[in-house]
Amino acid sequence: MITEQGVKDLLNTSGYIADDSIATAVFLAIHMEKPILIEGPPGVGKTGLAKALSSALDFPLVRLQCYEGIDEGKALYDWEYGKQLLYTQLLRTQLDTYLSVSADLREAVERLSAEESLFFSKNFLVQRPILRSFLSEKRSLLLIDEIDRSDDEFEALLLECLSDFQVSIPELGVIEAKRKPLTILTSNGTRMISDALRRRCLYLYIGYPELDREVAIVCAKFPDLCGNLAQQMVAFLRKARELNLRKPPSVSETLDWAQVLSIMKATQLTPEVVANTVGVIAKHQTDLQKVTDLAVQELS
Amino acid sequence: MERIITRFVAALRESGIRVSPGETLDAVQALALAGMERRRLTRRLLRLTLVKNVNDIPVFNEVFNSFFSRFRSVAPDIDIPDLMNAATTNMEGEFNYLDQLPGDDHDDNAPLLKLDSDINPEDLAELKSLTEIDPDDTDGIEIVVQMKGYRGKANKAPRPTRRYTQNPLTIELNKGNSTAMGITFTPEEQIAMQDVVSRMMLRLRKDMKRMQNNQSRGKLHVIKTIQKNYRHDMVPFVVALRRKRRQKPRLVVLCDVSFSVSHASRFMLLLLHTLHNQMLDVRSFIFNREVAEITEMLANMPVNDLMETIDKGDIVDLDENSSFGQVFLSFKKKYLENLRGRPAFIILGDARNNYDEANDWVLDEMREKARYMLWLTPEERDTWMRGDCLMETYGSYCDKVEVVKTVEDLSMVVEDLLRDIYADVAHPLDKKRMREAKAAEVYDSKDYYTRGASGGSEPSFDPAGRSQW
Repeated sequence: MITEQGVKDLLNTSGYIADDSIATAVFLAIHMEKPILIEGPPGVGKTGLAKALSSALDFPLVRLQCYEGIDEGKALYDWEYGKQLLYTQLLRTQLDTYLSVSADLREAVERLSAEESLFFSKNFLVQRPILRSFLSEKRSLLLIDEIDRSDDEFEALLLECLSDFQVSIPELGVIEAKRKPLTILTSNGTRMISDALRRRCLYLYIGYPELDREVAIVCAKFPDLCGNLAQQMVAFLRKARELNLRKPPSVSETLDWAQVLSIMKATQLTPEVVANTVGVIAKHQTDLQKVTDLAVQELS
Repeated sequence: MERIITRFVAALRESGIRVSPGETLDAVQALALAGMERRRLTRRLLRLTLVKNVNDIPVFNEVFNSFFSRFRSVAPDIDIPDLMNAATTNMEGEFNYLDQLPGDDHDDNAPLLKLDSDINPEDLAELKSLTEIDPDDTDGIEIVVQMKGYRGKANKAPRPTRRYTQNPLTIELNKGNSTAMGITFTPEEQIAMQDVVSRMMLRLRKDMKRMQNNQSRGKLHVIKTIQKNYRHDMVPFVVALRRKRRQKPRLVVLCDVSFSVSHASRFMLLLLHTLHNQMLDVRSFIFNREVAEITEMLANMPVNDLMETIDKGDIVDLDENSSFGQVFLSFKKKYLENLRGRPAFIILGDARNNYDEANDWVLDEMREKARYMLWLTPEERDTWMRGDCLMETYGSYCDKVEVVKTVEDLSMVVEDLLRDIYADVAHPLDKKRMREAKAAEVYDSKDYYTRGASGGSEPSFDPAGRSQW
């Protein structure tokens, strides 16, 4: 049985620096077999957590990217119409001989309907991400990304899947998950998720990390920056986040910036370095100016 | 452990966090898994399982701290069976504050406050006044009734002013307190507004979605249909339709920020701020004697900063007397020509012109440009003709004049307006359905401004008819 500290160490080895509440949430999700709903600003590592977990625990990652208009045909299952048609075409001769035995039309229909289930069998079922993760032999990691982009109807559809880990297909009946996948839902909070869905999940809010953790994240990915520079850039970004920017730099920007600085072989953060690389941190015209001003003010 | 958790959940519910029994079970299961030796871990476990909203996290922390400090602060000299007794009565919902008071020493209520952080000062005041009643003065029965009523309060549901309740939120716009607290919003007001708006959005979205779907439904797209059905041997199982261009409703809001209506207009601005970009293309203007556009600022600035900027008079001078005539004139000069499409106008103001030129002919021009014109005033109808109020004059140019007094009123009015705008571009089927629904509805005619002398006629919005004028 994996412990909370074990989760943390596992994530560390795959390069994800987790804080206590993340580790606890994952620990609970593994043992209670409940989905985790993660909310937080973009770029703080919500999707990253799922990827890191999948590689650390060696669970195959099944990802479902949500968008407006996603439906069960895209998320759960679909019937392969083309294949069904093709089969009826190819099997026409067999069907003819099979049905030719029957005396009249009524009997023919009966005979045919007895074989109906052939065409609505698992053979013709296209597994979409959720069903695929349910039917996977190994315990998998189901990532339902940006659930807030989908519509209310889709959310309602998920309720059955997430509470009972089963999918109802009218033609086949209820299909239960072989191994309940570790499920992670992420949301950027562009829309309120319904309470019904929230109730079925553990709720984890990931905000911007503390100074130490962010430095540790940078060091884990770019060991050559470790030390003074990492400390300096994280401190600078933390100040930038307080500037009330249109798009505050998050952890993903920190990492991008670290990569840029590492390629540039920078050793010290100066206003010039910031001015040259500001496009990595700030993503809006108005933000660019604010960040360069901050650099002049803070670093010179 | 279960007992403690249920009590803790009860405390959370008292503070307005909604926790379901299923979540309570989760919490118990989680604690059984990880143990509750460490305080921080326990708090994390409970937070993960019981709290499902970011905004509830601070409240949770507060409740957690006050709840579990109770156990720590139990002094050894307190009678344990007594405490248990109190706890069980609490569990059964019969916890009685009066029983907890030692003797008649009602002033010693400090530990009481600690015992349950959710008693608010009014409750305590009520409690005290109750004990001050001289038993000889009144009938005994009456006291008993009052006490009973009070006991019930100990386990009452979260107050209606809290979030998550279904009761309509009413924040009085006309209360004088707004002058004292300046023009910025308290967090509660912002939360309340968000709540009102999100409920409104939910109601709207359901109806609008279907309408938009119908709206975008067009003729058969032959090529796409063939392409899509290639794998079905050209048998058109899947039909592709041409999409119509989707129209986003346009709205132009003119908001009086002069002192006389400042409390109403700040809620209007907050409503706009919350609504902005959700489903509307809004252009917002504020005016006192001059008029200025604040669309950009609404979108980019935190609402309290904007309120302060407006309050300081940086955008429009607040020291002057408001003049609707002047405002309309300069609005026509500066903005009216470059307004795109046929927007719906909302004007919020008391129409008190300070005996200036009325310039009501501008409204006539605006009406030609507008899809719909709505005037919101915080004043009752009887005062519309008094003093310098030009409501009757201006009102005759508008499709509708509404009296709004609460945030709920305001959101209802805006919701109605949005429905009307959407209805304008709706599919004929939807239009028919809505007409039927409208006919079934009973109108409270005194709410609506009836144009002209034809008293009872309802100025129901008919976009098709409008263009023929």
